[in-house]
Amino acid sequence: MINAIEVNNLTKIYNPKSKNAVTALSDFSLTVEIGKIFGLLGPNGAGKTTLIKILLGIVFQNSGNAKILEEDISNYKVRTRIGYLPENHKFPNYLNGEDLLKYYAKLSGYNENDLSKRIDELLALVKMNKWRKTKVKKYSKGMLQRIGLAQALIHNPDLIFLDEPTDGVDPIGRKEIRDILISLKNEGKTIFVNSHLLSEVELISDRVAILNNGKLIKEGSVEEFTTQKEVYEVKLNKEFDSDLITNLLISYEIFEFKKESFKVKVKDETELDKITDLLRQHDLGIRNLNNIKTSLEDIFINLINKN
Amino acid sequence: MNNIWVATLLTIRETFSRKIFILFAGVSTLVLLLFGILFISVSAENFPVVGTDIQISGMDIGSEISKAIKLFIVNPLYGLGIFLAIFSVSSIIPQMLEKGNIDLLLSKPISRTQLILGKFFGGNIVVLANLTYLIFSLWLMIGIKFGDWDLTFLWSIVIITFVFAVLYAMIILIGIISNSSILAMMISYLILLILSPILANREFFYQLFESKIAEFFIDGLYYFIPKTAEISNIISEINVGMGIEDFQPILSSFAFLILNIALSIIIFSKKDY
Ligand SMILES: Nc1ncnc2c1ncn2[C@@H]1O[C@H](COP(=O)(O)OP(=O)(O)OP(=O)(O)O)[C@@H](O)[C@H]1O
Ligand SMILES: [Mg+2]
Repeated sequence: MINAIEVNNLTKIYNPKSKNAVTALSDFSLTVEIGKIFGLLGPNGAGKTTLIKILLGIVFQNSGNAKILEEDISNYKVRTRIGYLPENHKFPNYLNGEDLLKYYAKLSGYNENDLSKRIDELLALVKMNKWRKTKVKKYSKGMLQRIGLAQALIHNPDLIFLDEPTDGVDPIGRKEIRDILISLKNEGKTIFVNSHLLSEVELISDRVAILNNGKLIKEGSVEEFTTQKEVYEVKLNKEFDSDLITNLLISYEIFEFKKESFKVKVKDETELDKITDLLRQHDLGIRNLNNIKTSLEDIFINLINKN
Repeated sequence: MNNIWVATLLTIRETFSRKIFILFAGVSTLVLLLFGILFISVSAENFPVVGTDIQISGMDIGSEISKAIKLFIVNPLYGLGIFLAIFSVSSIIPQMLEKGNIDLLLSKPISRTQLILGKFFGGNIVVLANLTYLIFSLWLMIGIKFGDWDLTFLWSIVIITFVFAVLYAMIILIGIISNSSILAMMISYLILLILSPILANREFFYQLFESKIAEFFIDGLYYFIPKTAEISNIISEINVGMGIEDFQPILSSFAFLILNIALSIIIFSKKDY
């Protein structure tokens, strides 16, 4: 398997010698497979932006090393294949939308003859065609974000870093951006997204990592995060009797009783089997047995609180 | 090389887009218009120049007058040119370093060294273009009016651009360290208007302090600071046909330029943004 990003034991301390030294990343390691959408989550100040900045040569790590697209990050030439949408970006405001794309295409070393065709495509993709001749300084926040995304894609990069891409974008725009990211993935691109909008990351990411205080707390596929093995919802084919209820309540961790259903937290599969046996003994059929998913948001809050 | 060229072009484009470049060109045009009006309204014969009654046979009055005019305008031109040029470029680096802009710039496949060199060359090309416009036009006007087509006047373009380049290298360094265009401008004007003229006449201060240590210190400062005042005199001397007697002011200023660019690159290459 080829990795698009490989991070080994990165540590970053801002102002290391002064008394207001900040450890933004501490001994952080991570790999991102090629062709995947990876979501990095974490509360404000967790170190998400710092990680991207190190990978792109904007800040320098104190120790550790990293590779992007199999090149050491100190090799600036690999950045011809990288797209980046920074948080709080500030584009030269004398440019209009179209010129802005030309400007960054040049800086990215994109010299194809089809640049104007590419610009048309991207402006259409981010729905900014109407504003192509308008100066960037007149753009709204959401418009800036859209043109920013087009900017990150103009040179047809293989690996794209997006720092809070939907910041300031309305719900419809967010959906559009999500769709763009999914279609990019289908073209084989790797996408690395920083966000604190968990519900959104959940919708598109293949894998997510949670970062807090510069440390990796948990990393895995979205399913691993959101599927809680222990909690099941049990739906029955008829109402159950009070006898059974007391029986269940004594031995198991049952909650959310309804007429024909309940939820139960189990240690393992055998415990679950025991419960189903018990139900059968009481002549109750199981209509539905559901492994409950919690939202990434719940997990996130739990994990951060635990730390 | 290609990358430096891209960074240079984008710098030129940036100065064009910001109004300051237009200001530079506008003031130049105004100066040209003033001279144009002067030349049209005054005929060569009424120029109150020395030697009108001591007519030496065979001597071309026109060329004498034009020489006097050149001497008369070349110093103010030097001051004005450099003043405007510094004003035009002092914000290039702080603007580049603005949060949200620099991040994106550094994420591009251009090294930090190439970025700095692009900013340096871009600024110099813009100033060279402007000075060429101003000085070449003046040379044309003088030629048409007085029939004096002596090319040495055009050397002013090269030398003023050189002096600018030296100060610009320092403006870049100050910009990288302090992120301030005002500070860069202030120090440049301090050198141009005060330090360099004073240090050019430093012998006067030797007497004032009467101390070897002070003398040593003043000398050190003299050789370190760009010699804008002496180079201004060199331009005048070239224009009266004397040529350059002493290259030291030019060479030591050039060393200052190299030092400032090298330091800019080293410091810029290590900073977090
Ligand atoms: N240039 C800097 N100098 C000093 N400290 C910094 C600098 N940049 C970031 N920090 C500090 O490093 C820590 C991590 O910041 P970072 O911007 O990486 O967080 P983040 O996860 O992106 O947060 P957010 O979600 O708010 O964008 C914070 O404590 C921040 O104050
Ligand atoms: Mg951030």
